[in-house]
Amino acid sequence: MPPAGIWIDGLIQSCIYMTMAFGMVLVFSILGILNWTHGQFYMLGAFVVYYGIAAAGMPLPVSMLISAVLIGGLGMLVEKFIIERLTGPGYGPLYVTVATLALIFFFEGASGMLFGALDKGLATVLPGVLDLGSFSVSYQKIAVIIFTLIVMVAMYVVLNFTKVGLAIRAAAQDPVAASLHGISVGQVSLIVMGIGCGLAAMAGGIMAPVYVINPFMGRTPMIMSLLAIIIGGIGSLTGAIVGSIILGFLNSVIAYRLSYISELVLFLLVIIILLVRPQGLFGASRK
Amino acid sequence: MKAYIDYKNVVPKTVIGLMIFLIVLVPVMTSNMATLSMIILSGVWAIAVMGFTLVLRTGQFSMGQAAFMAIGGYTSAVLTFKLSMPFWPSFFLAGIVSGVVALLIGSVVLRVGGTYFSIITLALCEIVRIVAQEWEPVTDGARGLMTSPPPTIALPGFEINFAASPVPYYYFMLVLVAVTSLVFRQIGRSRMGGTFFGIAANPTLAEHQGIRLMKYRVIAFTVAGVFTGFAGSFYAHFLSVISPVMLGLWQSIQIMMMSIVGGVGSLVAGPLIGALLLYAFGIYVSRLPVFNIQYLLFGTVVVLVVIILPKGTGLVDLWDRFWRKVVWREKEFEFEEVEE
Repeated sequence: MPPAGIWIDGLIQSCIYMTMAFGMVLVFSILGILNWTHGQFYMLGAFVVYYGIAAAGMPLPVSMLISAVLIGGLGMLVEKFIIERLTGPGYGPLYVTVATLALIFFFEGASGMLFGALDKGLATVLPGVLDLGSFSVSYQKIAVIIFTLIVMVAMYVVLNFTKVGLAIRAAAQDPVAASLHGISVGQVSLIVMGIGCGLAAMAGGIMAPVYVINPFMGRTPMIMSLLAIIIGGIGSLTGAIVGSIILGFLNSVIAYRLSYISELVLFLLVIIILLVRPQGLFGASRK
Repeated sequence: MKAYIDYKNVVPKTVIGLMIFLIVLVPVMTSNMATLSMIILSGVWAIAVMGFTLVLRTGQFSMGQAAFMAIGGYTSAVLTFKLSMPFWPSFFLAGIVSGVVALLIGSVVLRVGGTYFSIITLALCEIVRIVAQEWEPVTDGARGLMTSPPPTIALPGFEINFAASPVPYYYFMLVLVAVTSLVFRQIGRSRMGGTFFGIAANPTLAEHQGIRLMKYRVIAFTVAGVFTGFAGSFYAHFLSVISPVMLGLWQSIQIMMMSIVGGVGSLVAGPLIGALLLYAFGIYVSRLPVFNIQYLLFGTVVVLVVIILPKGTGLVDLWDRFWRKVVWREKEFEFEEVEE
């Protein structure tokens, strides 16, 4: 058995991938595209929180909210000015993919110029550890888990019990029918992009005190949450959660035993799942 | 009947011919190592981009083209360095091995199309990188393999020495690009090229017309794999080293961007323009003193090209428009208003 610290690390990683994958799935189910820039919103969110705490001296929850609002707004701008223009009739899915991939370079270069490419570390915001007998957990990591639970519950409530959530679910099911019933699909896309990017920013913010911050920190979580939603099934929220949990533990617990082979296992798993069951573990089969 | 010359056809072709002539003469005009290697490397990327564009013709887009470059590069590097085989057989074997891998993978993987295919090729790309990094006895791991330049060819009167200057590489690259361009151009014009278009535009209809989708997808993927393997082998031998980080996911993404920026409407001109412009642009901005600005400018240019050009046609369409709108001043066909 790997030590308990590894299991907790797996849980933390699952939580972060879960928050990001949730946003990606939401965006995919409404806009029908994979947002490849998602990891860079995570990175920008971490930077906003870093400057919020280190420069402005705000508490962590406040700076996380600020970063969610700022980065969510940025995501809305990206949706309005880039994605919307490239998803009209006549454009294949390729153009929007290439545009969002190019935005990765744009945001990484911009933040490298603005903030410098050196690793930044944030002093632990929540010091102290919780002693559990044979092992201990830092409060910071507990905060990550609690944050993810809050986000998941909040998203559940928003999606199931509010008018906006109803509109989002309707637009995901059938955009044409939804717009016939008076739902502006364009507005729903904007809202969903804002929510998705805001979630990514908050995930980056809660991780800022745990890991180092640099302009390239978004690449791995982006690929991982992408693979998570593929394992779970593109377009399925349950699938995103389960896929993130599988990936988080694969990356920590199995990596503890197998080192680099765990990466091979990960990619082979993705290939096999896509070949055998392209809709993923939880995706509804659709034509 | 009066014989006449179709100026609108001849003049642009003459200009293209002059450009090719100038490109052939570049080593005579300059012996600047940096300029030559820039053109050589953009030629290598252009071949990979052509492969990507061919696969795109069938409606699939592969995010793992750099993996085939890596397979080709590693094949010829291992053959020449570890098994001390001569260069030329290894070079051709590199293409063949890469093509066989593409054939095997393609015949399994191409059955699931669309986004799933992209993700699978992305995963394959990462798998190739991990294998190259961890299979120490064969690939020397993260240090990479050293490669030797092709042997000196002695001709009566003079000899072609690859080790001394980049000029022989330059002409080698030109020949490689020319062969690839001719093959791809012929494919694009043949009946098969039309079939590729058909199965991309409407797979269901194509299948009901009796076209086997898998057959054509696999053909496109394999042809792309063969030429990308050649490009990879050339790349490894030109840079005299190949390591796992040189050809990974980000290089595949770069190939994809070059293809879209150049334009996917043509199999040859678009990739050439895209690879040359983006690679040269990347080299140019990397000389700017501002740190990290190259990423910013690169991303900006790609996004702007994709957004501004009408219906995402890429830069190759500008050539056509330049002649029609600027030089010949043709008017778009418009319905005449009936005036009362």
